[in-house]
Amino acid sequence: METGDRNLPYVSSTPILSCQDLAKDFFEGRKKTTILTDLNLQVEQGDFVTILGQSGGGKSTLLKLLGGFILPSAGQVLFHGVPLKKITSKIGMVFQENTLYPWLTVEQNIGFGFKIRGKKPDQYAAKVNHVLEKVGLTQARQLYPQQLSGGMKQRVSIARSIAVQPDVLLLDEPFSALDIQLRRQLQMFLASIWEDTATTMVLVTHNVEEAILLGRKLIVIGDKPGRIIETVDISQQQFRDRYDNDFLELQRHLESVIETDVNTQAALVKAGETR
Amino acid sequence: MGCGLLSCAVLVGLWEGVGSNSENPITQVLPPPSQFLPVLFESDFKIGLGSQAASIYQSVAVTLVRVLLGMAIAFIGSIFCGLLISLSKWSELFILPILGLIAPIAPIAWVPLALVVFGISNLTAIFIVFMGVFFTLTIATVAEIKRIPENLLMTAQNLGGGSFARWRWVIVPAILPGIFTLLRLNFIAAWMAVLAAEMTGLRDGLGTVVMTGRNLFNSDLIVLGICIIGISGFAVDRLLLLIQRKFFWWQV
Repeated sequence: METGDRNLPYVSSTPILSCQDLAKDFFEGRKKTTILTDLNLQVEQGDFVTILGQSGGGKSTLLKLLGGFILPSAGQVLFHGVPLKKITSKIGMVFQENTLYPWLTVEQNIGFGFKIRGKKPDQYAAKVNHVLEKVGLTQARQLYPQQLSGGMKQRVSIARSIAVQPDVLLLDEPFSALDIQLRRQLQMFLASIWEDTATTMVLVTHNVEEAILLGRKLIVIGDKPGRIIETVDISQQQFRDRYDNDFLELQRHLESVIETDVNTQAALVKAGETR
Repeated sequence: MGCGLLSCAVLVGLWEGVGSNSENPITQVLPPPSQFLPVLFESDFKIGLGSQAASIYQSVAVTLVRVLLGMAIAFIGSIFCGLLISLSKWSELFILPILGLIAPIAPIAWVPLALVVFGISNLTAIFIVFMGVFFTLTIATVAEIKRIPENLLMTAQNLGGGSFARWRWVIVPAILPGIFTLLRLNFIAAWMAVLAAEMTGLRDGLGTVVMTGRNLFNSDLIVLGICIIGISGFAVDRLLLLIQRKFFWWQV
């Protein structure tokens, strides 16, 4: 396992999260739609995996499967080598939007993971303060979500998930509702959180640039049905510069991979219709 | 607020203008404030005859307590029942239609039944308010629970919350503002129901003031009663709005 020069709590041979022959079908009446098929994937401890694909291409479904939010139609998800059957607080999830409790302040939202487990405020106040400081939200602690900008809201969401110290953090297009400037700020924010906490992260995005910038391992999911069409290991040369030549080349390559897949699938569908 | 006061002042002015001519038949039926307000002071704020006379404050208080108590019981009860119903798909299928059938019954229609069961007492009035509000609010609670964004519930579970904790800390706060808004809208119905009950069966409260006026052929008293009903109804509505803005301001 490639760990670079980061100090990880431990290095084990089993990947922290993996899936074997994973498939998911949805039914609309009797009509079966295959969303994902034959998915094999391994996420190593401390890694940052980005999953790239078209909108509506089953990326979010894959993430929900990895978090135990839904169960697969075939195959299984293994967490620390054990089949995952339900939602666990060890695998945190950050959704695209609509995740902060509007009746709670920033501080209370971040402490919510403790409160909902029946902890008393004085038991977790120190932890909340620590997280607030780390994510730079100390000034905003008394504000309510409706008083926050979109970028701040997502920072609070991430902070809330980090506060309960999950082993893995799943992020479902966390920045796609934001404008480009904020998006870049938050990408750097997330990268620094990852470096600080050594939390394993899996991020889903349709933005090629974001996927390359943040990931150490990059997985491209094809459309209809969703399956892995390309895996790129970039742990050796982690990009932080979006104008780097290698970066641009990889970006071009990935865009063409996605486009080719879309065209091939469209041709297949067309052939199926005429038959 | 200022505009409202101004238009009220204009209305009273017009009313006084028309009413200053005591020959005018309208004045007989609708005496202006300068004529009916002194009734309050002359009678030492008491309305009615002899030992039965209740002070005007008492009448207002009795009616308000009935409405607010009935609404409070219905509010808490309907949230509780709505939560229970939403626990299972079956109870939604079987119980909701019954509630849907009872909800449109005008609360006033319960008056005769309530008088038979509870007699002439505060219980009758509270029961009528309750019946007017409870079923609508219970249906609304079930609907509000369905409307909660799935992300809020999944996040709570993801953060380690058990099912009771999710009820207590997510579902209840998420539905409270919606239910309270509906309670406020239903206040008018509850208010009307209590007044109708007071006019037809009960012996005290604001509705009785108007009826006493009728029995005594005293149009001053009738109009006085009507005005107090209007003003206190308005005040309660504002109070509820204030509570809503202060305690249930968020939107899910």
